[in-house]
Amino acid sequence: MAHDESKQAMTPESLNRFLEQLLARTGRGREATIPILQGIQREYRHLPEATLQRVSELTGIRLADLIGVATFYHQFRLREAGRHSLRVCHGTACHVKGAENIHDAVNRQLQLPENGDTTPDKMLTVERVACLGCCTLAPAVQIDESTYGHLTPANIGAMVEDFLGARNLAVADVDSIQHHQDNRRQGEIRVGLGSCCMAKGSDALFHSLRQTVKDFAIDVAVKRVGCVGMCHQTPIVEVRLADGANAFYSKVGPEEALRIVRRHFRPLSIRRQLTGWLDHTLDGWVNPNGESKQNGRAALDFAGKPVVSFLSRQVRIATEGFGEMDPLDLDEYISQKGFVALGQVLGGKPEATIAAITASGLRGRGGAGFPTGVKWSRMRAAVSPDGIKYVIVNGDEGDPGAFMDRMLMESFPFRVIEGMLIAAASVGANEGYIYVRAEYPRAVSRLREAIRLLEARGFLGEKVMGSSFRFRVRVFEGAGAFVCGEETALIKSIEGHRGIPQLRPPYPVESGLWGRPTLINNVETLSMVPWIIRHGAAAFAALGTEKSKGTKVFALAGKVDRTGLIEVPMGITLREIIEDIGGGVPGGKRLKAVQVGGPSGGCIPAALCDIPVDFEALAAAGSIMGSGGLIVLDEDDCMVDVARYFMSFLQKESCGECTFCRIGTMRMLEILDRLCAGKGLRADLDDLRQLAALTTQGSICGLGRTAPNPVLSTLRHFLDEYEAHIAGRCPAGKCKALVQYVVQDHCTGCTICAQHCPVGAIPAAPYRRHEIDTALCTRCDVCRVDCPENAIAIVSGGSPCTGHSRKESRPQPLAHHE
Amino acid sequence: MSKLISLTIDGRAVEVPEGSTVLTAAQKLGITIPTLCFLAGVKENKPSCMACVVRINGDARLVPSCSTKVTQGMTVASETAEVKAARKAAMELLFSDHLGDCISVCQRVCPARLQIPAVIRLVAAGQMREAIAVVKENVVFPGVMGRICRAPCQNGCRRSKYDGAVAIQLIEREVANQDAAAKERFVPTCNAPTGKRIAIVGAGATGLSAAFFLLKSGHACVVFDDHAEPGGQMRHGFSEADLPRAVLDGEIAIIQRMGLEFRLNTRLGRDVSLAELRRDFDAVVLAVGSLQKTDPAALGVEATERTIRIDAANFQTSVPGVFAGGTAVRSGYDPSRSVGDGRILAECVDHYFAGKPMQIVRQPFTSTIPKLSAEEYMQLAKGSNAALSVRELITTAEQAAGRCCHCDCRSANNCKLHHFGELYGADPRAFAGEHRRRFEFIRQPGGVLFEPGKCISCGICVELASQAQETLGLTFVGRGFDVRIAVPLNRSLEEGLERVGELCVKHCPTSALTFEEDRRNMTKG
Repeated sequence: MAHDESKQAMTPESLNRFLEQLLARTGRGREATIPILQGIQREYRHLPEATLQRVSELTGIRLADLIGVATFYHQFRLREAGRHSLRVCHGTACHVKGAENIHDAVNRQLQLPENGDTTPDKMLTVERVACLGCCTLAPAVQIDESTYGHLTPANIGAMVEDFLGARNLAVADVDSIQHHQDNRRQGEIRVGLGSCCMAKGSDALFHSLRQTVKDFAIDVAVKRVGCVGMCHQTPIVEVRLADGANAFYSKVGPEEALRIVRRHFRPLSIRRQLTGWLDHTLDGWVNPNGESKQNGRAALDFAGKPVVSFLSRQVRIATEGFGEMDPLDLDEYISQKGFVALGQVLGGKPEATIAAITASGLRGRGGAGFPTGVKWSRMRAAVSPDGIKYVIVNGDEGDPGAFMDRMLMESFPFRVIEGMLIAAASVGANEGYIYVRAEYPRAVSRLREAIRLLEARGFLGEKVMGSSFRFRVRVFEGAGAFVCGEETALIKSIEGHRGIPQLRPPYPVESGLWGRPTLINNVETLSMVPWIIRHGAAAFAALGTEKSKGTKVFALAGKVDRTGLIEVPMGITLREIIEDIGGGVPGGKRLKAVQVGGPSGGCIPAALCDIPVDFEALAAAGSIMGSGGLIVLDEDDCMVDVARYFMSFLQKESCGECTFCRIGTMRMLEILDRLCAGKGLRADLDDLRQLAALTTQGSICGLGRTAPNPVLSTLRHFLDEYEAHIAGRCPAGKCKALVQYVVQDHCTGCTICAQHCPVGAIPAAPYRRHEIDTALCTRCDVCRVDCPENAIAIVSGGSPCTGHSRKESRPQPLAHHE
Repeated sequence: MSKLISLTIDGRAVEVPEGSTVLTAAQKLGITIPTLCFLAGVKENKPSCMACVVRINGDARLVPSCSTKVTQGMTVASETAEVKAARKAAMELLFSDHLGDCISVCQRVCPARLQIPAVIRLVAAGQMREAIAVVKENVVFPGVMGRICRAPCQNGCRRSKYDGAVAIQLIEREVANQDAAAKERFVPTCNAPTGKRIAIVGAGATGLSAAFFLLKSGHACVVFDDHAEPGGQMRHGFSEADLPRAVLDGEIAIIQRMGLEFRLNTRLGRDVSLAELRRDFDAVVLAVGSLQKTDPAALGVEATERTIRIDAANFQTSVPGVFAGGTAVRSGYDPSRSVGDGRILAECVDHYFAGKPMQIVRQPFTSTIPKLSAEEYMQLAKGSNAALSVRELITTAEQAAGRCCHCDCRSANNCKLHHFGELYGADPRAFAGEHRRRFEFIRQPGGVLFEPGKCISCGICVELASQAQETLGLTFVGRGFDVRIAVPLNRSLEEGLERVGELCVKHCPTSALTFEEDRRNMTKG
């Protein structure tokens, strides 16, 4: 939220006061480095020199170390920032949906000074972020805590105005509302409140529903639930009546709360009913037939094919209770068999738990797929010099295009912690951290609240569930470094250092956090654990393929009709996910490829999409399972551009320690840049392969070793596109330097393109065919999208890029939340 | 006593104590693995340069030997072609972001390889006697060249892009003039006589330069020429105004003082045959100049068109023991190139006598700074002591020398990147790219000079400062490709390195940290 202007005035006294309070909370040790810097940054929106010097004096942490850490992580800035921060998402889904054009439009709209990122009035600072994890809203922009999705270059002005206009409207945080279970009511209304749903206005809807229920004195609970998964339908409301009947509504606006409530529930008193009726009749919008006044907001037919297709192939293990459970209602979690598994584990032998996990075939869901049971048994066998062992939950989900872990932490914080407790009890650890990336503030706040509730109820602390097992857990907020998803870098980060990966061995289970044995498991991995314990290893192992058992959670985004968060059994084919669950590529376009596994993964061409979701099968196709981002690409997507996109991401995220990754990725990026600019040579492809081989073999950590994968997989499956670029043509019409926008003969001369062109490259010529000044044109795509006659074509290398001749569906209106 | 671990490296067994690194084990076997970022006792287990990679147990990945602990029965591949190729590539990648000239452009483009920066520093310090000695290590005719050479050095001079080149030719001429005016001229010391005799045909720049260096090596030389006076084109191709004959005569006289004999008015093919020369001498050098007026057949060696055919690797003609160079082997007269050829010919003959194969090094190993921006040229100009920026004002050698920006490497002889890069046959331009460090001088007058452009981000200095508990010390700033080493909060180098400046200079694996004043006279190249 916006800070008080008064906080900007820093006096030595105010600084000391602030720092004393901050240090009392964070501690003064080296490990407090990142929390201290985060505290300062929150207060001052940057790290003023004076604060760093004072911190160094007060804590004894060397200034050199503070600067080293502060400049390593994206979150921190040493330059002054504007009052609000505008972050343009450059995640994979946003990239393929035009994030660069959005960024350009933002810069144009705000008239940023050259080489500056802050508006002259210090109102807004524009940043580029790797991924906001709202991939289904792509392209997306976040201003402070408000997220705007489905943007086009044309509506950036409206977005900024909306933010500046709305920022004074304070809305209570949805997580601050206390819930109480009451089953005697008429029923309940559930609203999905994951970060994505909220970005599309579900929190405003939630408040509107609560207000309506209160106004009409209807005895019904309005309940927040976690992510519903159907991101393409949000905001989504489920009405559940006392008799068990239910109804769903999708894409609901806050103004529709009354209609929904009135359709299902009766007020308690006639007077209330009458008053309400009159009030709103005067408002003149209530339709007693319950019909939607807007298109696309009808009741969602859950028996209809799209929903059935989306849901029927899914299996709920990590996401059990999807769309039903209040993320922070501990009683409800317990009533849904929460902590049954932990109880079983605490009552049994640790070896038996580990044996069950081993027998289940569970493999790490963070990407590499290491057998979880093996890791646990090594960890159990590991000896700590002072008896202390740690469990760390890796929630540093950094892959652009992946938001599974965020959803799990936001929607099922109790389950994540239960999985962690089972792991800790089994391996003999009594302390732990949940490492959450900086971009997930809601996951952080929900986990912290969950920990507080669990401590209060004896599920965490000295005697967990009354047993002799003791466990303490803390949430550690990352500070913006993709590389910290790598376990040794993550450890360095918690210790208060730059997140530099370490050469393994030693592995963390031998020598991890502060040199002690440390078990690091991914959020999703641990979320599977309670189910496995409750249902037995065999039930889990019954799902999936020979070597890949159970389910996998995927974030389905990109050029697919039904985007969302899905959990599917291993072994399902990529095509089934894209076609059956996702509803295929929209707009009648052709599926080109699916990007699996994020920056370390690869692009699997449409022809190979019948392979099953399986660690080995994906590797054989030149990709990896990765953490679970699935970005669907269609014929408008340029594979060289996609390779460049990932290389650009990895190059920016390289920690810079070892030569092959630090310099090799830059040299590969330069080659890809040249190719996309039409300046590539045939010899460049050999250089790319050579650099890729060197970086794969010679980098210290997994990030470096897998960095060439997107390049290698596209070279393998889409060599023709590389060759086309060398010949000066981008077949998909994506690479700006290689394309031109051309007005076709059937232009009616309506002048819309001329009016909308942000750079004045199209002179208005009423009733005549328009012309585009190629020298001025920035290829922002506004004219083509806005042309009502579909008369603007993209041409590359002398021929039209056919994909673009078909029109995408119109973007949805802006959404925001505060 | 800790347990011993046995392993094999390149098939050779070795035993080292448990906890040792593969690097230590290799050293025990006498295998030299290049290391740049590693410093025993200071920076261990924090690999970054990857110049020391090895392959363990046939694994797909390569690991840094400096940080990889030995295990029982481990098999290490170290000196294999593919491992060495990876090390070389690591160094080539480092070179691609290493903004430095091991050898300055002026020296690199000088066909005679005059050690220009070293000469300039001596001149600037007023040490003219030392200057002529360094000049004569490569150039036998500084007085002549100071007047007639084409001075490609001045085109190459980096300052030429800023406000005009340093007047290098003027400096060379002044050094020679002062030598000529000295009571006793500089005459290099010759090695003890070897007993070998060499016939040199042609008393031009090539022949006399060859003679000079052969004499220095202790061989006896007789120079044949069909003219009445020695000097070739130097004597016959320039006016007295351009090149006073006294200057030429003076410099030739020095060679005579070293023991040179002349057989003038003697023409090969007319007065003496190649067969005779081969019979009477241990080696023959043909420096006959342009063959325009000569019948190549009369020389007795294979010739094509108008040039004598030589093996480019060792300047040997079709006849064993007979060498040729200068304008006789190419078209077009370039006096400084002829002077350079003479030195190379002498070297070839030396190798011939020693029975060693000769491979001409056309370009000595050097990293090169690519084109700089205007801003960077301004930084570069900060390297000079003199504010003088208008060439017209320069009249003395000292003034001219003061304008030199000293863009050559301060410690190329002490640079591990240079050393191992050369050893591994690295091509410093192999991975040259658009993105690179900026040219920058961070100087502390009389103290440590930091050139971030040359830094390879190894972090040894950061560690040294941290371990010495420097109050400010050094830190990494930023990350990824743009990571830099700097004093926190942009404070000065003095503040950052109160205690360990000297140590940092000593252990910097490149020349990013050097002493401003402690500039050795480079003799490389």
